[in-house]
Amino acid sequence: MFELVEATHLIEIPLTVEIPVGPQHPALHEPLLLKLHADGERVIKVDVITGYNHRGIEKFAEKNTFYRDIFIVGRVCGICNAVHANCYVRALEYILDVDPPPRAKYLRVLAMELERIHSHMLILAVNAELAGYETLFMYLMKDREYVMKAKEILTGQRVLADYMMVGGVRRDVDEVKKSRILDIVQRVEGRVRYYHSVFREDATINKRLRDTGRIKQVDALANSLVGPVVRGSGVKTDARAHDKYDAYNEIPFNVITEDYGDSYARAMVRFGELYESINMVKYILTHLPQGNPVPDERKLPRRFPEGESYATVEAPRGELTYYVSSSGSDKPYRVKIRTPSLNNIVNSTFAYVDQMIADVPIILGSFDPCISCMERAVITDLRRGVKYQIPLKVLGGVKK
Amino acid sequence: MTATSQSLVDSLKEYVIKSYTMKPNRVVIEVEASKVREVFVKLAEVLGKESFYLSTIEGTDFPEKKLIRIDYFINLFKLDTNLVLRAYLPRENPIIPSVIDLVPGALAGELETHDLLGIIFEGNTYLRRSFFVPEDISSKGIYPLRKDSGV
Repeated sequence: MFELVEATHLIEIPLTVEIPVGPQHPALHEPLLLKLHADGERVIKVDVITGYNHRGIEKFAEKNTFYRDIFIVGRVCGICNAVHANCYVRALEYILDVDPPPRAKYLRVLAMELERIHSHMLILAVNAELAGYETLFMYLMKDREYVMKAKEILTGQRVLADYMMVGGVRRDVDEVKKSRILDIVQRVEGRVRYYHSVFREDATINKRLRDTGRIKQVDALANSLVGPVVRGSGVKTDARAHDKYDAYNEIPFNVITEDYGDSYARAMVRFGELYESINMVKYILTHLPQGNPVPDERKLPRRFPEGESYATVEAPRGELTYYVSSSGSDKPYRVKIRTPSLNNIVNSTFAYVDQMIADVPIILGSFDPCISCMERAVITDLRRGVKYQIPLKVLGGVKK
Repeated sequence: MTATSQSLVDSLKEYVIKSYTMKPNRVVIEVEASKVREVFVKLAEVLGKESFYLSTIEGTDFPEKKLIRIDYFINLFKLDTNLVLRAYLPRENPIIPSVIDLVPGALAGELETHDLLGIIFEGNTYLRRSFFVPEDISSKGIYPLRKDSGV
């Protein structure tokens, strides 16, 4: 017969479901796998699995010359290629002690701010699409195309500009080009004001974006999040304001912050930055210094002196850093690239915890992920104190 | 070195082996590898936890010197300064205590540096190969960013 024994443990068997989001098109059309562990509709843990797009560019850069690498780093990311090239080129200029002429500095900022405008418009469009508002996506993408055109007028290329070179930029602008760019930017400004009002007033956008993926200031800083994500949590940090590289010490602009830290706050930071960038573009086009911004390529030194430098740039997604070390030859000894998406995607898994499954793409979209930019990673949630539930297969003794 | 940077170096002087600037104006402090954790604790004490973040971790291989150098790039945004903590590890046995419990933002940098250079961050339970490196290379025990890796 059975003997009655008093219970010492209560085992609650949790019903967790593993849901893979990706690797094809989790939010943007790029490869990333978010493995969600869900309890009902609530996410309890997220693993980010990337590495589908790692191309070994840092090693590749070590094997090519300093000048060839300008073109290689421009291909790290399509959307923000001008900032990548700018950051690398400035790292070289620091080693060489070269200072580009004022006109070149203004033109570099012009190219980078046009890039910020179209990048922010792209991610705001994707945010709208993820919230279920595809019409807004179409409209925003249409107006973004005008900005791409402006970038083409300036640099000669719609996407991959290859505009930066050591000691200046690759081509100058004339009065006709200036007036065409100004015309486009003024037209786009009116449209951005309209889209801003749509984001503020539309019920769908507000319901989906507000209170999703809220990040506190202390968490954002501890986890090294950068760019509009950390500024959306109320931290005033911007590489343009700290480092004042190129012409940012002369061109007036404000650092935009929002306090609440949810997906909506991040979208509002991007709108604020759109206005700032548009004003900067207008300022540059009306205050462009005279002179020749294009250096003579034949007079640039072939070999670099020994030395090292660390350049930072405020890419559309946040602080982007390049460390370049030279051992005195024609090739760099080490190039280290840290893209903003690496920190923003790999270190941000805590933001999904306790959110609804349906909100996961919205939150990921609000971080403005750029997978080919980040090119790496496999991570597990770091947040302490989360109620961790043992999967059934572990309880059943099944080895992973 | 500016006055702010100098006072920063002074506040950490018990750990400093050598200090100099990296171009354009980054403050570099060389410390013992075993003291890196203490420096982070001290930084949080001196500046406050919410006035800096760890930007990135970078490793460089020096096969002739039989050393691996590790740099922690810290953005002190309230002071408009970047601080670089630099430590040297023996190439044969590159072990350094992990700072992941003090600075969770170190996760991405530690995983990356481990997979590409083979530095072992003691105490980081998330370390694994094939973080970025394809399995056909990592299964042979090759660390691609080492100068003699042949990649």
